[in-house]
Amino acid sequence: MNKSFISYILLFVILVLIQVLLMNHIVLFNSAVCLIFIYFLIKLPINLAPNLLLTLGFLLGLSVDILSDTPGLNALCCTILASLKKPVFYAYEQHDDQKRNVAPSIGTMGFLNFSKYIFSLSAIYCLLAFFVEYVNFTEVVQILIKAGGSTLFTFLVILAIDSLIYKN
Amino acid sequence: MRNLLNFLIKYSTWFVFTFYVLISCILLVKSSDNHFSLYMSSANAIGGAIYRTSSEVTDYFGLLSVNQRLQESNAKLESEVLNLRQQLSQYKVLAQDSSESERMNRFGYIGASVINNSTRHPRNHFTIDRGSSDGVEPGMGVVDQSGVVGIVDVTGKKTSRVISLLNQNQHFSAKVKDTPYVGSLTWRGDDPSIAFLEEVPRHAKFHIGDTIVTSGFSTTFPEGIDIGTVMGKVKTTDDTFLILKIRLASNFKTLGTVRVIKDALKHELDSLNSIGTYE
Repeated sequence: MNKSFISYILLFVILVLIQVLLMNHIVLFNSAVCLIFIYFLIKLPINLAPNLLLTLGFLLGLSVDILSDTPGLNALCCTILASLKKPVFYAYEQHDDQKRNVAPSIGTMGFLNFSKYIFSLSAIYCLLAFFVEYVNFTEVVQILIKAGGSTLFTFLVILAIDSLIYKN
Repeated sequence: MRNLLNFLIKYSTWFVFTFYVLISCILLVKSSDNHFSLYMSSANAIGGAIYRTSSEVTDYFGLLSVNQRLQESNAKLESEVLNLRQQLSQYKVLAQDSSESERMNRFGYIGASVINNSTRHPRNHFTIDRGSSDGVEPGMGVVDQSGVVGIVDVTGKKTSRVISLLNQNQHFSAKVKDTPYVGSLTWRGDDPSIAFLEEVPRHAKFHIGDTIVTSGFSTTFPEGIDIGTVMGKVKTTDDTFLILKIRLASNFKTLGTVRVIKDALKHELDSLNSIGTYE
């Protein structure tokens, strides 16, 4: 428990740093960004206490917000994503007691289900983030293009990272 | 009492969720509260330390182009200094008034480097490595070698956050060079190289390629600093005002070294203005 606790803290710090120092500056086709830090929420065990999950989500979003000068934006979206994590997981997985303790990954869920799981979460997050940030609904097409591009980018990077870890 | 406690425990997740969502929404809406925003911005101690360290590494990669640009602006400035020196020696005989030299030294510069930058949001900010201990104050203008880039927003001890020109909520007073036609410069999102000059009088004369400069109506920027060039007119239904499409002079994706403009008369002018409004 203690060991995994420390590794989760490390994952938190590393992902936030990668996001603000690297990923915030990579914008593909002037629209797609990779919001890699949600990988932390994706990897948290499914049976984690809901209050702890929400708190971690909020803190994750807040850290990214403070460092990229978007106060409240990612904190709000991460809190909502944390609350939707469990329903999305069980949309693709059976209620199975064996799988509840471990972190979701290709190894525990299978490639197809895991892909669906992270694609859904990325899509939810990107849609939320871009609609909250742009507020006005007059540029819906523009926002949808940005959210769609970012969803794909985020999904591919997270899938790549997870399959690399799985091979090891 | 026990029922209440049971109720609270049973639905605690909902309360926690609502609580966090509320805090986030307050942050989203009240992001311009000055006292609080220092802690919630990249100008705080931790953000400053992180971005300083990373820019110490990444700055080396851009040195070649930075050098080139500096050499170009150096050459331009040197020739300007020569010209001005010549003119000055002619005027020196005439100008014995001490107030004249005071006016010449009204604006000073503080050199700084950009340690974190963004262009992808609708309201962009960037962070510089100079803060209140270097004399930077909120409200000061920031320029790079090509033109206007932003206004200082929050100052930490050693770092400051700057509202980028690429920020939908920030307007800049600007005019067509060598004319009295003043408008409000606004960025509408998306393309970091294009902005719009709004509320220009209908009768204003301009040509495509004309330079847009600061108007000098505020204490933030002196008059005549480059902002961009006119690309054309935007069609509007408004009969009284024109909107001009502007190509910005600065490349916001590669901001490196910038200068913060310090106005020696700022406090004096601001206090005069505030007297005017209270009466």
